[in-house]
Amino acid sequence: MKKAAQRSWIKALDSKFIICSKKQNNFRICYKALTLSLLILLSYPAFSFPQSSAESLVQEGADHLQVFFQNKAASRTAVVQFENDSELTDLAMQKIYQLLMARLENEKNIRVSDLLVHFTNGRGEFNLSNVAELDYLLYLKFIQNKTKTGLGLAVFSRWQDKLVSIKYIETHLGKDEMDFLNSKNFAFPEMGFSKLTEFETKKNLMDIQSISSADAQTRYFFYYPDEIIIYLAKEGRLEKQSSCQLKWTRPLYPVLNYQGKLLVFAFKQDLVLTAGGNFSPVAQVLTFSNNQWLETAKIGFVPFKQVLFNQNPYLVGARYEEGKNYFKDKVYFMPFTDPAANSEIVEKKSRPAYAIDFSVQEGQLQGVHLIDREYTYHLLTSDLAEKNPGTAKKGASLAASEGDWLAVSDYSRQTDQLFFYDIKAGGLRPVYTGKIAGEVQFITAGTWQAVKGFWVCVQVPQDDAGRSVLQFWGKPQ
Amino acid sequence: MSKLKLLALPLALLLVYAIKPYYGGEISMKLNEPTSFTLNTANYSNLILYSLIYENFFYLQKDGAITTHVFEDYRYDAGGRTLILTIKDNLSFSNGKPLSAKNIQVSLKMFLGANLFAASKLNRLIKNIRADENQIRIELLADDPAILSLMTAPELVVLAENEQSFSGPFYPEEWEKGSHLILKANPFYTGGRTYLDAVKIVFSDDVVPDVFLSSPKSLKENYQEFDSGIYQNIYLCFLQGDIGQNTKIALYTLMKKFNEVTGFKYKELRTLTSDEESPVSIQIKTISPQKTASILKSSDIKLYILASLSYLEKDLTAFLKGSNLKIETLFIDDSQMMNFLNSTAIKYVLIDKIFQTKIAAEEKISRILKESSFNQFNVKYLRMLGELDEVKYSNSQELLMEQIARISETIINDGFIFPLFQKTYSMYIHHVWQGVEVDYYGRPLLQKARKTND
Repeated sequence: MKKAAQRSWIKALDSKFIICSKKQNNFRICYKALTLSLLILLSYPAFSFPQSSAESLVQEGADHLQVFFQNKAASRTAVVQFENDSELTDLAMQKIYQLLMARLENEKNIRVSDLLVHFTNGRGEFNLSNVAELDYLLYLKFIQNKTKTGLGLAVFSRWQDKLVSIKYIETHLGKDEMDFLNSKNFAFPEMGFSKLTEFETKKNLMDIQSISSADAQTRYFFYYPDEIIIYLAKEGRLEKQSSCQLKWTRPLYPVLNYQGKLLVFAFKQDLVLTAGGNFSPVAQVLTFSNNQWLETAKIGFVPFKQVLFNQNPYLVGARYEEGKNYFKDKVYFMPFTDPAANSEIVEKKSRPAYAIDFSVQEGQLQGVHLIDREYTYHLLTSDLAEKNPGTAKKGASLAASEGDWLAVSDYSRQTDQLFFYDIKAGGLRPVYTGKIAGEVQFITAGTWQAVKGFWVCVQVPQDDAGRSVLQFWGKPQ
Repeated sequence: MSKLKLLALPLALLLVYAIKPYYGGEISMKLNEPTSFTLNTANYSNLILYSLIYENFFYLQKDGAITTHVFEDYRYDAGGRTLILTIKDNLSFSNGKPLSAKNIQVSLKMFLGANLFAASKLNRLIKNIRADENQIRIELLADDPAILSLMTAPELVVLAENEQSFSGPFYPEEWEKGSHLILKANPFYTGGRTYLDAVKIVFSDDVVPDVFLSSPKSLKENYQEFDSGIYQNIYLCFLQGDIGQNTKIALYTLMKKFNEVTGFKYKELRTLTSDEESPVSIQIKTISPQKTASILKSSDIKLYILASLSYLEKDLTAFLKGSNLKIETLFIDDSQMMNFLNSTAIKYVLIDKIFQTKIAAEEKISRILKESSFNQFNVKYLRMLGELDEVKYSNSQELLMEQIARISETIINDGFIFPLFQKTYSMYIHHVWQGVEVDYYGRPLLQKARKTND
């Protein structure tokens, strides 16, 4: 078997030079070059490193990349090929990959994208649709010989159209560590976003918000067109606590697909919620008083967030095109001083959008994220000035978790997935991808068991009745 | 196959599944020009047109399922022999005026008063109709849980008090007579606003429409055929007892000649329903052109034609002019027909009826008897209908056929209706449109229609 493997590598050696002169994004071919390099490296003991764990193996790889990129600024980089020729499982490979990603995310000279869709049958599958936007492509291979396990790492420069760096690191992985890596319940501390829980939900769920009370209990508000159901989280499950029936009045625009946003916040001594949707031109303001929710006002737009301007609270939001599935081309601001009174609304021009969210840090509006009707992502400043128009098509759902993370769905119905971006620096840095078995209906930021992340409502495709599941994707700290 | 082509296929599939339905766009349909927006479902073209602006109480799907957009809930209370319909909250007509339980009650009563077989069947069952705040309670004379199926008639629609209000997915916005009619999406449509912004109904053949009606199996490239088994029969009716047999035959011969000179656009009809299912064949002998001319030359004939046949106007007028006969054609709206009958001595009428192949022959013959006998309807016919009902429940196909044959013979012998022509239809929809469903009556449901690449 080993001989057969060697033969295939020798075959790769024969075609090496033809390969690299071909198209720059021909990954299959470039990989042959990598295996050749690894073969060469394997025969030189001087390149071996006496390491003792997977983590140090990855750390060494990351160190090598740090040195390589130290004189380069914000190099757009991603792993585009990862193969496993060791006895480690696919799961272990995913963990090793995540560990490497976590290390690279912290490198200031690297703008790393996480393109891994999944790892199966010894091979990683990557989303290569946006490779043209990258500067460097990384190829990884895990290899095992009699006593040691090695990681081969090659860097391909798209601009120079050649391999610019090759590294092979070897270490001894004991059986215990291998078992540890292969076990399902293991997670590296810096792993990316993953699905932490999943619930069945009834049809037409439009949004979820939560609020923690003084007794440290978290209440979850599930927003449906005709009611809001309030749940209490108990040991990994949700228990219905109460519900609030919503009474809408004319004009009411019947819709094919319900969409809406809910906002829950404490205001002075009261708990206030606002609920709006694409079926009504007004959002309801409900205040919790005497153990019941009372409608105290109506607002002419759908509030998304509460923000501070000059230390004064405002509601910021958008307005749906009545009866349709997108927002009008304006963003609305309203001073919020009294839950029972309307203030003058200030509107600012933006653009019609399938999805909008506002990133808010410590009450301050940081930016506006939107996906227009052409499925292009736009990042706007707090003044709604265009900051970073995207080029690639994005899905029609997004949500911002404070000023830290942005989750966006894919531009596809059959193979939906989630893209998580780091927005802490004000930009958009892709860091993780999660596969979704269904179609994303909406994404909203939230918390689950003290973990911040995103609620994702998914329409399960194989069920004609429209079965919906609700997932929580979080990044354990 | 080149790599490029191999890649293009999944890419195309991916584009089909863009994540959100696109709101916007216009679909064009070639239909006959209406005379007004008063409900008229006499022919297939009208059946489609009026389904776009009037919402049915219930829809009968192709698979027999009954659905509704108007009612939140409907249930039959067997104990109280009452059908309870609960209307959805906060519904509105196209102009924003409230659509209430009262509107439902009035619409149902108007339907029951119409000269329709489906209405008379329902009428026989209903004791009273009451409207509460958001409920309509239909109390029956006898227990009949199947009442809901009678309420799927295409003519049972939600009507507004105001003529400018519409309950359907679209409402008329602009009508350029002889050219086109623009229907705009109703923002308050009870079933949820359509993805389409508009439907353009074109009346001429100047443009290639997205949807049109034509004979079945007319192979049209890029179009999907929906053959719902719809056919249209045209009859010549004589509504006064003093019309001589010779005049009837002469006028019948003239109409046959008209079909011949216009290129046999219609199939000859020798039964009251369709030649394939009728137990009897009706042979009416035509006479020579000379004899026809000599009989009709001294007559002063006013031939009333239902507005649903208005598309015949041009050809028929030219034909009659060429025949040098004093025959005046007058087009009359179906809804005004009964009023005209009471006020005017209408003698000659050209009418049409559409039928669905799947509907039982006894149902069709009942419809003809009830809807086409006009002022000639009498106790004898009522008795025949009663007998047909009885035979229906005897489970004897032989007896049933005998009764149908007897009714057909009686009608023809009484001489008030002569079958003339028949035309079968399929609906063709361009492949670029997806999400178009077709109901039991062959009507396109455009609620979720959108272009493939949107």
